[in-house]
Amino acid sequence: MHIVVCMKQVPRDNSVKINNDLSINAEGIEQIMNLFDEYAMEEALQWNEKLGGKVTVLSLGPDEWKEQIRRALAMGATDALLLNDPSYANLDVLGAAKVVADAIKKLGDVDLVLAGRNSTDDESGAFGPALARALGWPQLTYVGKFLEVNDGAKKMVVERHLEEQVETVETSLPAVATVVKDINEPRYPSLLRIKKVAKVEIPTWGAADVGAASSAASVAGRVPPPPRPKGEIVDGADAAEKVRKLVDKLMENQVI
Amino acid sequence: MQFDLSDEQQMFRQAVREFAAKEIAPNARHIDETGEFPTETFRKMGELGLMGIPFPEEYGGAGGDTVSAAVAIEEVARACGSTALAYAAHMGLGSAPIFMFGTEEQKQRFLKPAAAGKYIAAFGLTEPHAGSDAGATRTTARLEGNEWVLNGAKMWITNAPIAGHIIFTAVTDASKGKNGISAIIVPGGTPGLSFGKHEPKMGLRGSVSTAIMLEDVRVPRENLLGDPGRGFNQFLKVLDGGRIGIGAMAIGLAQAAFEAASAYAKDRTAFGKPIGAFESISNMIADMATGIAAARLMIYQAAWLKDQGRPFSQQAAMAKLFASEVAEKTCRDAIQVFGGYGYSQEYPVERLYRDQRLLTIGEGTSEILRVVIGRHILGGFVGN
Repeated sequence: MHIVVCMKQVPRDNSVKINNDLSINAEGIEQIMNLFDEYAMEEALQWNEKLGGKVTVLSLGPDEWKEQIRRALAMGATDALLLNDPSYANLDVLGAAKVVADAIKKLGDVDLVLAGRNSTDDESGAFGPALARALGWPQLTYVGKFLEVNDGAKKMVVERHLEEQVETVETSLPAVATVVKDINEPRYPSLLRIKKVAKVEIPTWGAADVGAASSAASVAGRVPPPPRPKGEIVDGADAAEKVRKLVDKLMENQVI
Repeated sequence: MQFDLSDEQQMFRQAVREFAAKEIAPNARHIDETGEFPTETFRKMGELGLMGIPFPEEYGGAGGDTVSAAVAIEEVARACGSTALAYAAHMGLGSAPIFMFGTEEQKQRFLKPAAAGKYIAAFGLTEPHAGSDAGATRTTARLEGNEWVLNGAKMWITNAPIAGHIIFTAVTDASKGKNGISAIIVPGGTPGLSFGKHEPKMGLRGSVSTAIMLEDVRVPRENLLGDPGRGFNQFLKVLDGGRIGIGAMAIGLAQAAFEAASAYAKDRTAFGKPIGAFESISNMIADMATGIAAARLMIYQAAWLKDQGRPFSQQAAMAKLFASEVAEKTCRDAIQVFGGYGYSQEYPVERLYRDQRLLTIGEGTSEILRVVIGRHILGGFVGN
């Protein structure tokens, strides 16, 4: 069984500061593994322990992302692949999915691709579905539980944790699945493995290695969202009055 | 000259920091308040490979170096002093002597489980009448057939009642003075071992330090550690390494106090501005940062010298002396920055202050360390 985990390195959300001119202050930004991808990695490692085979951590990003790739290797991933090329610098989600799909096709023997439901920086949640489309494989989003992954019969059964229901779905493999938070408890990188992976060369493919991929669009610029409007404190003589006023306001705004 | 940690050392730091933030820090206040030993935390530390960082993999360790071990202790201390003390004592005092002086069989039997985190180890040196003056050891070990029989009492032994093995120093030949002291490994639970109550302490309350009574404690002859009569020299070498650990712990506690005080100085306002805008506060923050930076360089240098196989005794003594005194000043000033809140248990700085206070005492008091350093510089006549 060969499981590929798509991993994105993202800034820790509270470490990012915006400059006065609305640009991002690069100082003090702490890079971490995208939270949801960490759950995907743990899930892959657990199934790998049961089924054997390989777990490849795959990232599309600059050289600095090797830091989190090494972290994934220290968690237990058996293989790694970084896709890095100057032409990838401003890819949008669709473009990135196409490149990753080409790389996965080139790997050849992949049975299952896991990714987080979204990244905590861009939060589009579109990468998994776009990747499945580009590969022409079934896509299972918002997976909250893998009930069965059957290497021999090339099928799996999962629970999709949707807003109002849990859907049990069976699919053939290969397939692409994105996972939700708390599907498992991700392990910590092992110090024993760090020793082995700290200096290991991370295989890197450029555009020429992956093959041609064209992007529909690229990211032109980023601006922070407008500040949230100020809150309002409901005041009153005592708790009863405050609650009454609060309920009035909630009804006024048709919240209740 | 190279001041950066290696990639591997940085990954160690990141991994330990992450673990400490999620698993150790949230528990720090609880174990300080209750004195409960964090058994579950240590089980997880064992799983990750934290319990034997500087020992080779064939002996259950993580195959790291002294610098990595120091970094790990620093990060654990930044999260919780009690956990860090138990950890540093386990690795530097309870386990290291076996790696340094043990036979292959002793390494397999005692170092391997300790380094792999199957159990915690301890080192029984201090006695009610022999602290800094360790040459005055009264505990005895006499050979009866193929067994050592130990009798005596130890005091302030970190990890004692929970340890899987304890290395005891004991007089094996009273006629030879200091040179008649040996070290003997005693497995936990050996009949004749009994422990005093959990000593109520000013700080580091979650680490267990007790007295130990030894009454006809019998262990096989092969449990003698290293050369007979070399116990005194051996433990001096052990303490040299242990001091790097205690110094690293001091940096971790100081770092935590510094971070808390810096954040508070930016956040708390008085007279219409953040208190950090007042020089009396920002000067304290600047001194904290300067002291910690200097102490950290000294500790890492001592660790590095040890890793290079070069003499490090003087550097370890200087680094531990300096780091522990920096920690005391830093934690004292952190409380000052917090004002009244600093004195309350609502914020961690009062705990940090109590926790650091041991560090100018344990594994060589500041006074003894100055003697050690003075002898290195001036020769052996000082104090003799």
